Amino acid sequence: MHGVKRVRYSREALAAQKERELAKLKEFQGLTAEVLDRKKRKDHGRESFDLTTRLLHVNPEFYTIWNYRRLILLDGVFPTSTPTQTNEILSDDLSLTTTLLKQHPKVYWIWNHRQWCLRQVPDGPTDTDPNGWRQSYWNKELFVVEKMLEVDPRNFHAWNYRRHVLDNMPVKRTELSELAYTKRKIEANFSNFSAWHQRSKVLTSLWSAGKLDKPKSIEEELDLVKNAMYTDPGDQSVWIYHRWLISLGDSKNVVDREILSIDELLDEQPDSKWCMESLVFYKRLLLRKYSESLTDEERWKLGSDCEGLLAKLQRVDPDRKQRYIDLSGHSV
Amino acid sequence: MGFPLDVPLHVKYIQSLGENKDDLVYHMTAHLRMNAVYWGLTALCVMKNKDALDREEMIDFVMSCYDEETGGFAPHPDHDPHLLPTLSAIQILTMQDALDRVNIPRVVKFILSLQQESGVFAGDQWGEIDTRFLYCAVNALSLLGHLHELDVEKTVGYITRCRNFDGGFGNREGAESHAAQVFVCVAALAILDRLEEVDQDTLAWWLSERQLPSGGLNGRPEKLEDVCYSFWVLSAMSILNKIPWINADKLTAFILSAQDPDHGGIADRPGDQPDVFHTLFGVAGLSLLGYPGLDDLDPVYCMPASLIEAKGLRKGWSALPRKISV
Repeated sequence: MHGVKRVRYSREALAAQKERELAKLKEFQGLTAEVLDRKKRKDHGRESFDLTTRLLHVNPEFYTIWNYRRLILLDGVFPTSTPTQTNEILSDDLSLTTTLLKQHPKVYWIWNHRQWCLRQVPDGPTDTDPNGWRQSYWNKELFVVEKMLEVDPRNFHAWNYRRHVLDNMPVKRTELSELAYTKRKIEANFSNFSAWHQRSKVLTSLWSAGKLDKPKSIEEELDLVKNAMYTDPGDQSVWIYHRWLISLGDSKNVVDREILSIDELLDEQPDSKWCMESLVFYKRLLLRKYSESLTDEERWKLGSDCEGLLAKLQRVDPDRKQRYIDLSGHSV
Repeated sequence: MGFPLDVPLHVKYIQSLGENKDDLVYHMTAHLRMNAVYWGLTALCVMKNKDALDREEMIDFVMSCYDEETGGFAPHPDHDPHLLPTLSAIQILTMQDALDRVNIPRVVKFILSLQQESGVFAGDQWGEIDTRFLYCAVNALSLLGHLHELDVEKTVGYITRCRNFDGGFGNREGAESHAAQVFVCVAALAILDRLEEVDQDTLAWWLSERQLPSGGLNGRPEKLEDVCYSFWVLSAMSILNKIPWINADKLTAFILSAQDPDHGGIADRPGDQPDVFHTLFGVAGLSLLGYPGLDDLDPVYCMPASLIEAKGLRKGWSALPRKISV
């Protein structure tokens, strides 16, 4: 029961509510018994199909009923339908899932059924255009999922579905356009960690395919992140992403430069936990990775900076005090 | 710190759940019944009240959900079998020492039949994949003593492909890290003795940053706190031996504040309606935090620690030491 407030009702209100519920309950139980009985009898007729529609409107989490619906389609409906009829039925089922997803955007079973429908689309509309139906559905899917992500930009079901669509649409979109999409989502809200995540995936894929120059694109990403850091230095999404970018590179100059830039931000925001936390990580990274190019004095200075920052972090972020103590006792 | 844990009231709440037969929600959640029985029983075990529900009645219910045709368990009689209720059924029967009622080779065959080429598991014949189902398979096979029949490399390979830039894991390849998926992936790797696949420094950092100023934990960056993450986050932290990296007192107070002081049960957050899911994961979190008077919970299997230890399945996790008093 996520997010349902506890309310104290009077005895009368409770009784009235019970009364209303009882009618609903009777209907639901009657319908459930009827549908499950037909399922047991392997009745795969049209009437059973319509009853599953009714039941799923009342309870879209009842996954057994989605399974039964698919059995009816596969066994009782599709074999006697023309491709055009099959296509129309699937089109209706997709509309059903659209309606239900608007009300229940986090129910796994509805998303599953949508994917299943798309896999069933027959060849057509003509022999010369066998991919026509499929193509027109898949093109609509990105639009549907973008609408869902406008309503809730963190819905992981919708993001998963988005990746599924991008992987499966017959005419693929370029990954560069997906990169642009994640940038739009991030610029609309820097705290959208789901979009940062997606960006990390798209970039990795573009780099390994050689479609983007990795060092150059890391520089561009660092610019984007810097912007976000200055907008809200308390937003952890940005810092997690920044750490990933730095850990990918192999240039001491970049680490030095980023340390300087975070130092500047820390001057403006002297209690910024994320500035300090990141400085500790990057200074220790220098000690770990570039120790040979450092003088004794530089090494000593980095070590003592980290100790100072960790001591201050224990004060500004007392909930995670033990972590800072462990890090400070721990050699790099 | 407000109310202490009201064990007698929560026991009564769990006992009352099976009596709400005229309640609409009870019937609308029939597809979760097997899980709910597991949640209730495990919560009772942690609160040292295992016998508060009738053993025979429970075992009969579990067996009435067995599907002869596939070898899997459904969540409710006449529903379809699935890996989620199958794990719950095996956990319940293990806790009730009643695995002798099961045709183990048939259940093992059902579970193994759902592994995909990629290494992940489907939940049922309809093919939805999720690292949750992979964990269900690994946990159940381990409890049934048939882990040796699993293709470990293939399974571990899939989990590592779900690892993200933040050290966490998602519900499938490409998916964003989420604390509950981190639990299933880390716990599965623990059962398979492959924790070296985890980027422990990065992940423990990410997990410790789930704690919000309220003391509660969230499941992803910049999201709201919720009592159930007390278990998803803490279990992974205890497997990595890092529970001290968050403020245990504040989390304890947050969980306790989500109790329903009138009717019992624990909710997702203070002031909300309780349910048996959050009651278990609240109590489980408290157990790992060393709350006094509770039994130890094994964070890998989410079952009583003494039972897992007796089966020789205990892994190297650590919880906070049990306190003597509040």
